[in-house]
Formats: sequence, C-alpha cells, structure tokens
Amino acid sequence: MPEDNPLTKEAVELGRQLFYEPRLSANGKVSCSTCHIQRLAFTDGRTTSIGVSGKPLTFNSMSLANLMWGPQRFFWNGRAATLEAQVLVPLQHADEMAQDDLGRLVAQLAADTSYRKLFEAAYGKITSANIARALAAFERTLISSNSRYDQFLRGELTLDPQEELGRKLFMAHPDVKVSLRGANCIDCHSQFLTSGSSARYDGFSNNGLDDEAHLQPGLQAVTGNPAHRGLFKVPSLRNIALSAPYMHDGRFNTLEEVLDHYDSGIKNSSTLSPLIVEADNRGAAAARRISLHLTAAEKAAIIAFLHTLTDRDFVTEERFSDPFARK
Amino acid sequence: MKPMRKVVLLMLVLLAALTALGVAGWQLYRAAQPLELTLYFHPFVGPEPLVLNECRYANPGGEGRFKVRDFQFFLSNIRLVSATGAYVESDSYHLVRFDGEEPAFAIVLHDVPCRSYERIEFGIGVDAVANRSVTSRGDLDPNSRMAWTWEVGYKFVLFEGMLLCGNASDPLVYHVGFDENYRIISRELQREQLASSPARLDFRVDILRLFQGATTVDMRALPSVKFDRADAALLGRNFADMITLMRPERD
Repeated sequence: MPEDNPLTKEAVELGRQLFYEPRLSANGKVSCSTCHIQRLAFTDGRTTSIGVSGKPLTFNSMSLANLMWGPQRFFWNGRAATLEAQVLVPLQHADEMAQDDLGRLVAQLAADTSYRKLFEAAYGKITSANIARALAAFERTLISSNSRYDQFLRGELTLDPQEELGRKLFMAHPDVKVSLRGANCIDCHSQFLTSGSSARYDGFSNNGLDDEAHLQPGLQAVTGNPAHRGLFKVPSLRNIALSAPYMHDGRFNTLEEVLDHYDSGIKNSSTLSPLIVEADNRGAAAARRISLHLTAAEKAAIIAFLHTLTDRDFVTEERFSDPFARK
Repeated sequence: MKPMRKVVLLMLVLLAALTALGVAGWQLYRAAQPLELTLYFHPFVGPEPLVLNECRYANPGGEGRFKVRDFQFFLSNIRLVSATGAYVESDSYHLVRFDGEEPAFAIVLHDVPCRSYERIEFGIGVDAVANRSVTSRGDLDPNSRMAWTWEVGYKFVLFEGMLLCGNASDPLVYHVGFDENYRIISRELQREQLASSPARLDFRVDILRLFQGATTVDMRALPSVKFDRADAALLGRNFADMITLMRPERD
C-alpha cells in the first residue's frame, strides 16, 4: 500500500465511480469496466481487448482480483511499478481510452458537482494523480476470498475426491523416484494465492508458449535482461473458470486447451524454466520430448480443482458493481 | 602571582582535564554502543565468482559442463556467541539469493551489543518449528518459490540450471529440504574481524560444494533431487561446508 494513497472509504467510493465512468474515455463510451467486467471476474471474454479505436489490442484483459498480493508489478510484462502508474496507461493509450489530454479530463470532472464533492472528500483536489489513486484504491478492494478452495483452506469443507486429486496434482512437482505424480502448477502459481510469487521477478515465467524464434520480449522489455526474454506475469488463478480465454494473448479458449498445453504442448526455448523441462510423470529418461504425461483423468481432476477457485460472492458483490446501473 | 591569574590558570587546567575526560568518555561510550554488522555472502563456483546463465563449469563427477540459472537458500537463526553472552537475531530467516545484480548478498544485523565475539552460528535451511508453520517470519513466505506445500515445508537450498554434454542438454533441478537436512554452522571469529568500521563479515558461498564434498555428484547420473530422502541427505551433507568465512588477507 503506497504511503501517499491510504485506503479510505471516500477514495474507494470515488474510485468505484471512476472505474465505471465512460466519460473517462475520449469518445465517452469506454470505461475500465468495458474490458474488466465483474461477472467475468473483471475480464472481458475476448481474445484480446477492444477499446475506443475498435482495433484489437495485443494483450488479453487481466482479471482484477487480490492485487495487493503476488507480483507487485503490473501488466503482463510488468512495465508498471505501481497500480497507480498502471491505471493511467490504458486511460491514455490511443486504442484503449484515448484520453490524450488529462488536463481536459480533469476540467471535465471539475465541471461535475458530484465529482467535485467526491474528490473533495477523498483527496481535496481533482488531479490526474488523484484519478489514478482513486482507481487504484478501488481496485485494491477487489478481494476474492470465498471460493470453495478458500473455504477448504479455512477448514469449512472438504473437497470431493476428484477436486482433492486435482489439488494434490496442482500442488506437486512430479518425482518418479518417490512415485509422486504432479502437474507442476505450484512451481509458478503459489499455493494459497495461486498467483506468481511477489519477491523480485519470481512472479514472471516463460511457460513454453513459443519457441526460440517466436519468443516475445516480455519482461526483458522492462529489465533489459536477456534471461527475462519471453517471461510474462504469472496471473492469479482465482475465478479462472470465468476468465477465458487464457494466456497473455488469449490463445487458448478453454481450460482443457490450457491443460493440454502444459501436458504436451510446451515449446522449448533458451529461457524456458528447467522446472518445466524436467517435470515428467514418466521419468525424464523416458523421452526427450517435454511432457508431463498426465492421464485424461488427472487433467480432468485438475480442471475440477480449478473450478473450486470460482468465488460467486466476488462476481456478485455489490460494492464492486456498477454504481450507475439501474437497481 | 595575582589571585586573578591563579583563578584563570586553575580554570584552564580544569577545562583541559574535563576535555580529556570527555574525549575518553566519548570513546568509551562509542565503544559500548551497539554495532550495525553487515554479513556479505559472495557466490563462487569453485575458485571462480558465480556467473549466471553461462555454461562454464565442469560437471564435478562426470562429463559435460553446467550453468546456473537460479541459486538461493535459507539462512536462519543467526547468533553471535561471546564468553559474556550471545546476540540472537529475532525472526532470523533470510533468503540468500544471487540474481546477478549485486556482487554479494547482504544481511544487516542491527543493535549488536559490542562484545568480544568468539564465533558466529547460523542454520542452512529452516528449523523444524518454522518449517511446519505457515506464519511469515523474516523471509519465510508460504507463497514463495521456496515453499513446496504447507504439508511438506520449505526448500532449504534451491539450485536450477542446465547440463550440456555434447549436443544433449539436461535440466538440473536440485531442491533440498526436510528437517533432517537443517544444518547449524559455526564459524570462529578473530577479535579483529569485528573491529572494522563499518563492521562487516564476508563469507564465501561455494556452490560447487553442493556437489563435491562427502559425496561427489555426477550431474548426469543425478540431474535432479527433490523428494527422495536419501538423495536430499546426500546434498544436505555436502552443503554443510559450502559457507566459509573469508579472511581479508587471504581472499
């Protein structure tokens, strides 16, 4: 939590209004909620998002849940160091909200009595920095913590046998030597958060989507480190069953496709993690081809576990919903 | 001598005496003040400083050369022991990691009482109590890459890399944990080692010792160590010797 943006009720209320405010965009039709829809866990269901220009963007809309935990760098390639810095980027991007003059936006909001009052209560002045602070404050309150998995972690329920098998596979790196089968998910998706880890750049990974020739810059664009080429942010898997399509470019439409990718579709490259190359439920010596060698039943079990991450309260919570919607 | 002159002279003598006392007192006071002591850990592979992501190191027990992509370990429960008492760092769990950005990893110990310490002690790994807990203390984080699961505990030492042998490349994954491999290390200190200002101790961390010690490991034959207790114990015995104190005059 930044020291200059404490989480206050007033800031969050203002942030909520701004999040759903289409007047933030140049054509008055696109708000943050255009690409971050609550019932889809604040994603948009598209391969890549579409803003004011109508041109598909390069990246898939990221879910906005539990942003105070996990990697504290934002965007798929981690180019924003704070949430406050992040929110101003789509606001000004020519294809997203195209607000090329933040001064004009400030003046526009200042002409609105209701916003004048909201800003007065939250921050005093209407400025672009305070617009960013308010949006970030609202986004920090988007906490998902009542999925079946959360209830399981709190000891309130037991998962059914298929979900429990899926959980065990999710949480295990396979080790043939001790007959431990695993799907290796936890090596990137941490056990409680299901997001990447927060330390340094640990929450960024090359998950084998592209071969060497097609590897995108990813995190390397931010750090300049060649070892970071093709690394993208490991997202939280909270509400993953609601947030298709998947991956930074939305290339997979279903969780089945995602599981098939990790099981047998990994493409090798110089920055691919040895943990992915080495993970094999048949024993690494069996074949040179990278594969987890999961069974169909195991893949189905992991998908059943992923469904336990759906939090109905999160996608229906009134405090997160559109304040302008007719009741 | 006139009485006035006597008084002035007396005052001057007194002032000089007081100043001398003050300086001596200040020096004594300074010497008794708690220290800030920085421990620096310098990564090596054998005699060479560690260079990440370069296939430049010989497989200690067989053919091929290897590269290091990630190397990190937990260093826990730091204590400085003297005849008159010990300094014990609280919540002393440090993830020592070498990301190639700094030449050494630094741990700063605050408010270390000024004593004549005979040795420094610390653990490699995580003690059994903390290893069974999901509480975040120090750098312990159950959502970090060093956590297996809360049922298994933490990886104590993590090495990930690649072995190249001819045209073949094999991933190297050494994740060593389990309570029985927690190692308490003790290193003797010379009196003058803490006398530098600012106070510092420098340690050599030789990654090669993980594979070369009580048992020499052929990375081709044993490219990964994870949950097999015997394999983990083998590396656990080796890593007990990987950290040594650097003597400035020799290193």
